[in-house]
This record gives sequence, structure tokens and C-alpha cells, in this order.
Amino acid sequence: MDCCQNKTPWYKKMASILIGHNCEGEVNHNTNGLEKIALVGSPNVGKSVIFNRFTGAYVTVSNYPGTTVEVSRGKGKIKGNEYEVIDTPGMYSLMCITEEEKVTRDLLFTEKPKVVIHVIDAKNIKRMLPLTIQLIEAGIDVILVLNIMDEAERMGLKIDVNKLEKELGIPVVPTIAATNKGIDKLKERVDKYVKTA
Amino acid sequence: MSKQLSVNYEDTIENSINEITEALKGDYILSKRSIALLLLQEDEDVVNMVKDQEVNNFHSIRDIIKETKSQFEKPLSYVISIYRQNKVEELADSVVTKKETSNNSISNTLSKLTMNPITGIPILLLVVYFGLYKFVGVFGAGTVVDFLEANIFEAYINPFVDKIVNGLIPWHWLQDLIANEYGIITLGFRYAIAIVLPIVGAFFLVFSIIEDSGYLPRLAMLVDRVFKKIGLNGRAVIPMVLGFGCDTMATMVSRTLETKRERVIATLLLALAIPCSAQLGVILALLSGNKIALLIWIIFMIFVFLFIGYLASKVIPGEKPSFYMEVPPLRMPRISNVLSKTYTRMQWYFIEIIPLFIFASVLIWIGNITGLFDMIVRGLEPVVGLLGLPKETSKIFLFGFFRRDYGAAGLFDLQKDSILNARNLVVSAATLTLFVPCVAQFAVMIKERGWKTAFIMGAFIIVVAFGSGYILNMILSTLGVLG
Repeated sequence: MDCCQNKTPWYKKMASILIGHNCEGEVNHNTNGLEKIALVGSPNVGKSVIFNRFTGAYVTVSNYPGTTVEVSRGKGKIKGNEYEVIDTPGMYSLMCITEEEKVTRDLLFTEKPKVVIHVIDAKNIKRMLPLTIQLIEAGIDVILVLNIMDEAERMGLKIDVNKLEKELGIPVVPTIAATNKGIDKLKERVDKYVKTA
Repeated sequence: MSKQLSVNYEDTIENSINEITEALKGDYILSKRSIALLLLQEDEDVVNMVKDQEVNNFHSIRDIIKETKSQFEKPLSYVISIYRQNKVEELADSVVTKKETSNNSISNTLSKLTMNPITGIPILLLVVYFGLYKFVGVFGAGTVVDFLEANIFEAYINPFVDKIVNGLIPWHWLQDLIANEYGIITLGFRYAIAIVLPIVGAFFLVFSIIEDSGYLPRLAMLVDRVFKKIGLNGRAVIPMVLGFGCDTMATMVSRTLETKRERVIATLLLALAIPCSAQLGVILALLSGNKIALLIWIIFMIFVFLFIGYLASKVIPGEKPSFYMEVPPLRMPRISNVLSKTYTRMQWYFIEIIPLFIFASVLIWIGNITGLFDMIVRGLEPVVGLLGLPKETSKIFLFGFFRRDYGAAGLFDLQKDSILNARNLVVSAATLTLFVPCVAQFAVMIKERGWKTAFIMGAFIIVVAFGSGYILNMILSTLGVLG
């Protein structure tokens, strides 16, 4: 949405205020020319929470699917390097059904993010890994995030992260984004990945 | 990093993938293997993209796809995803171990209770009663608004502003711009700060708690059956419930619905029958003093919602939706998240409404000075007369054009001056709820659905709103309910 961009002329700003462009959840960082990191994954796995953790911006986070309908962009700093962090609407597969999925795929098709972070719900690995495989097939540099580990553990699930990492051949990081657990580790892996990639 | 995982599909498919990747000459950001797979799955967008890039050999690519397709009974997208799924199952089984636990039983039981109609409906009513009626209606819109209105604005700020402005500024026209009945401070700021903000704040707080708990998707499952009758499915509950927060935002979220038909119906119903938080709060506050009036308003709104939805589903062509949605677990909302969310939303709302309310005050001031305002109001008077409403209410509908809540807040003033009787109150509240969406929502309707659809909806809504108000008034006066 252009109402939140930095260089909007005043009359456009006024007009968008009057028309009431909804700026909730928008982040107004200038991210021109920075390397991109995109967050993708099914609805309701915690992409927006991780986005908030990376950018320090506030994007509305909810506990039901389908609420991120726009792409949010913000500036995030990882190990001294600045990146453009992109939060995307939920996507189940590279084959799209809904309009929101198309938005995300178009972004992957056109913007060439340096790293794509695929966030999944650790409780539902089986249902979500097919997208990871599609992303790997697409030749994208993927980092897999197993989020909501606390709930998975409470359900009695034990995940051998090292083995999964070896099998997939991509970095895998377990997190509990809501309480900030694993986020530093994730940032480290992103940094390392970017430097070796 | 070790070698990345790759899935081997059936030989026939692998051969086709190889042939296609060799034929692809263009520049693609995604790997050619991935493009080939999407082509085999006949993804429309990818097919079109490749058609544009491979002008010369698109035909041969299409032949490969056709040839491969003919060798399978099932669609290729199905065959391919089965291969992938098998690989994933194998992988997951080797890394995930599960030990039986039972400590999830409370949230599981609760989760089932919310989705079963027999227990789910009473739970919904409890949520609505305590969350909306008691907290937003009685506490937010009653206690807090009364305090800010009567004890702060009416008692101190307004008289003070009036005195200063009328004493310092010699010109009557400028006095009216800032103070007196329709002034920027005495009307615009008062509406925004004393009436709308506390109500919206209370609503956002409750809404954030409900939202974070994961109750909404369960509500979607619960009402799926009813929604099927009006051409929507349970998924549409999300935008509908969001509409109670802000219809503008909700109209945008209707994008997540699968079919165009659903999106149109949802947009229409949002614009027509779903009051936004501000409007809802003010109306709840108005009507909560009279239980029968409140009940009539609720029943009438639900009736119009279902009736128009049913009609729309009959009239608007298109495929019927299926229903698929994730049901996330019930979670204990985190207080810090709820508070920061409420705060952010209030802040966003405040920043948005203050200029608008000022702008509306200025417009009304211009309208007053030029006489244009009087003209429109007088034009509306016969219409509101038909609804059995006193002529002062025509002003409210004009306010409603600017913002839903602005009109409702105006109604608040009229009630305070005892201009409205109970029946007038219900009729005007109902008509105003149905009446045009606010400028912001209308703009989003245009953006999401296009000019034509938006304007047809707008015209339709005005007719339905006044028509319903007329009918409601007739019914009430014939039955002799509420005077």
C-alpha cells in the first residue's frame, strides 16, 4: 500500500488518510537495494511473528489463517548486515488455488530473494514438507524453520532436527517464535547461509 | 551443506521433465526442473509465462505435456503430489517419533465443545454477551463514554472552548468552525475522543483476546452449515467477524475466499449488514438502556443479513464453494501480545479518524455556511419522515456518509436530547447500520471489486437500508411495539 511509503507526496497522504487506506500492519522502512529474505509457508504457522522478530516492526498477528493479505516489507539487521525482510500471505503449494497464494508465488517468481525461509508448524511436518521440497526443486536457497516447537513437544512429538537437516540438505532451525526462542539461532544460520551461498 | 534432497518421479515423468527442461530456453528465476513440473501440472500462470518466453518451441513443449498426460489415468498434478507426499511420509517417519501424551485433553474437549452446535451456540452467546454486550456495550460505551462525555467534555472542555473562542474571535463564522454545535473541537474531537475511541478500544481488546485464543476458526466450523445457505461457507466467517472490527479491513480480507461469487456476496453483506466496531459500540450503547429495542435490532439485523445473503446466492451466478480450513489449536492468549495489538490498533484507528472527523466538521461547517447542508438535510427529511423519524435524524444519515461511526455518534446526541422515542431509536439504528459503508470501505470495495460492482452495491444498499427501515417501522407501529 502506498500510503505508508516514505516518499509519498503530502496530497496523496492526505487523500489516503481521507479515503482511509488501512495502514494497519504496514511497515514503513526504506528497503531499496537491500538483499531480500522472504518468509513463506502455510497460513497460521507464525510467519508474521518471525517477521516482527526480525524487523522489530509491528504487524498484526492472529491465531487464525488467512489474515495476512498483503505483502509486508521491513528492514532487518542480521550480524551487521541489513536486509529487506518480506512477510507473505499463506501458501500451501507452488500450485496456487487462491489469490493470496498467487501473490506469494509471483513474489518468488519475480523478486529473487537471497534466502527463502520456509516456516512450518512443527506439529504438522507431513502436511507442510511438500512445499519445502517444491522450493528445493525450484532451486531456491531455503532455510526450514520448525516453529511452534512447544506445542509439538506437548503433543509428545520428538523431531530429530539434525537428521532432517541431513536428509533435506538445507538448514533446519527449531523455534518458538512467540517467546523468541531459537530466533538468534535462526539469524545465525541465515547469516552463514548468505555468506556461503 | 550436503547434497539437497530431490524427489525422483516415475520414469515417464522424469523423461518428460528432461525433455521440457532442454526445450526451455528462456530466463527463469525458478529452476527449469521446477518450471517443467508446474507445466506438467498445467498451472495456468506458468503455462502463460512460458508461452510468452518460448515463442518458437512452445508447441513442442505443449506436445510433450499432452503426450505425458495421455499416459496417466489420473491428473498429473495428482500423480506428482502423491510422489512428493510419499517421499515426505518416508522422511517424516524417519525423523519424528511420537510418544503418547494426554495432557492436551482439556483444550481438546473445549475445542470440540465450541464446534458442536448444541454446545457451540451457547458458548457463542456467552462470548457475545460478556465480550460484546457487557464489556464493550455496558462498560466501554456506557461507563467510560459517559464519564468522558459528561464529566470531561460537556462539563469542562466544550464550555471552556466555547468561551475562549467566542470571546477572542470576533467573527461568527470562524467561531463556528472551531467551537459551538459543529466545531472541530466541540464536535469532531468530542466524537473521536469521548465517544468512538473508548468504544473501539474496548472492542479491540476483546477482539484481540478472542483472536489470539483461536476461537474464530472454530466459529467458522460452527456456522458453516448456515453460511452454505447464503452462498458462502465457513471460511467467510473470518471476514465477517473481522467486519465487526473494521469493515474496510474485512473487505480486504475477503480476498482469501476461493470463488469470485463468494467474494462478491461477502463484500455486499459486509457493506450492508455488518456494523463496524465503532458503529456497533455506539449502537449497543444507545440501545442497551432498552432491552427490547436491543433485541429487536439484533433479530432484525440477523434477518436482513440472512435474507439478502440468500437472495444474493440465488441471483449471483457462479460455482458453489467447498470448505477447507485449518483449525489451529486453542491457545492461552499472551497478555503482552493482546495489549500491544490493542494498542497498535487503537493508535492506527486514532490516527485515521482524527483527520477524518476534523474534515467532516469542516465539511459540515462549509455546508452550513453555504446552505448546502441544509438543502441536503431538507431533501432527506421527507425520506426519514416515511420511516416515522423526526426530521433531526436526516442530519445523522448525512453524517453516516462520512463515516459509519460518525452517524451513530450523532444519534447519541439526539438520544441525549430526548428527541427520539424507543421506536425511532430502533428504526434509525437499524437503518443506519444497513446504510452506506463509510468512505474508506467504499474505496476498498472499488479497489477490490471494481467500480461497477461497487456502485451497484452502493445504490442497492441505500434502497435496501431505507426500505428495511420503512418496513421495520411499519411492523413495529402496527404491532404497537415500543410506542
